[in-house]
Amino acid sequence: MSEEKSDSGFGGVDTLTDIDAALHELLDRPWTCIVWDDPVNLMSYVVFVFKKIFGFSQERAHELMLLVHNEGRAVVASGSREEMERYVQTLHEHGLWATLQRDDKI
Amino acid sequence: MSNFERTGDLFSLDLTIDEAHILINLVEQLLELLGEGDFFHHYDADDPFAALMSMQQEVVTPEDPVLMRLLPNAYADPDAASDFRRFTESSIRSTKQRILREVRAHLAILVDDEKSGTVPDLDADTWLVALNDLRLALSVRLEINEDSFELFESLPDEDPQKSIYAVYYWLGWLQENLLNLL
Repeated sequence: MSEEKSDSGFGGVDTLTDIDAALHELLDRPWTCIVWDDPVNLMSYVVFVFKKIFGFSQERAHELMLLVHNEGRAVVASGSREEMERYVQTLHEHGLWATLQRDDKI
Repeated sequence: MSNFERTGDLFSLDLTIDEAHILINLVEQLLELLGEGDFFHHYDADDPFAALMSMQQEVVTPEDPVLMRLLPNAYADPDAASDFRRFTESSIRSTKQRILREVRAHLAILVDDEKSGTVPDLDADTWLVALNDLRLALSVRLEINEDSFELFESLPDEDPQKSIYAVYYWLGWLQENLLNLL
């Protein structure tokens, strides 16, 4: 049992259906938009931009701003590549340092 | 002392003529850095033909660190970053130029008359983005970090850098002032 599992390459996968689901998830893994901390953008400005671009509540925008500030970066959105590219473009237009990448959680 | 004011949905900014001069000079320098040296174009920045022409040029990662901060890479992967830049950079540049031109036109009202006064009916979002881009540009030149404010305070008044730091922190104060009115 345990040998078969490790051979599959998807640890913990037992059945064909599970493998199918795991592959599906791998291929459909969403893209994420990440905002990075910098010493220039004012905290209140970052909150303003998050609310404006993503339509977040004041509380949610503030929470994400603090996450960026304390952790150095935070995922602020996830979805299709096209959607994330549009967000990154709009964030750059507002002077925030943003990148996109594939979600690294599988 | 300069500050923004809000009446209903309308925003205005009181500036001394010296402050208006400082701001318009910064705005014009940033416009030039963004590739807009001549402020009286024969075509608009959003002209479809100009946009098409800009697609023909090879869009490369900017070498100037200020431009690199204003137009950062969207991907860690250089090929993906370059593709993204090819398709979006001219649009991001145009947006920044449009915003700076609007702010420049507001400031010109005071500067052309050579007198202190009020910039009326300004769009808060436009000014917030413009002030932010000016701060980002200065921050790269000043190498701003968490310790910069202490350094600024410790500089002697005769140090030529001191007045540039002072402008940088003044811009932050102005931006915060406008954010507080939203």
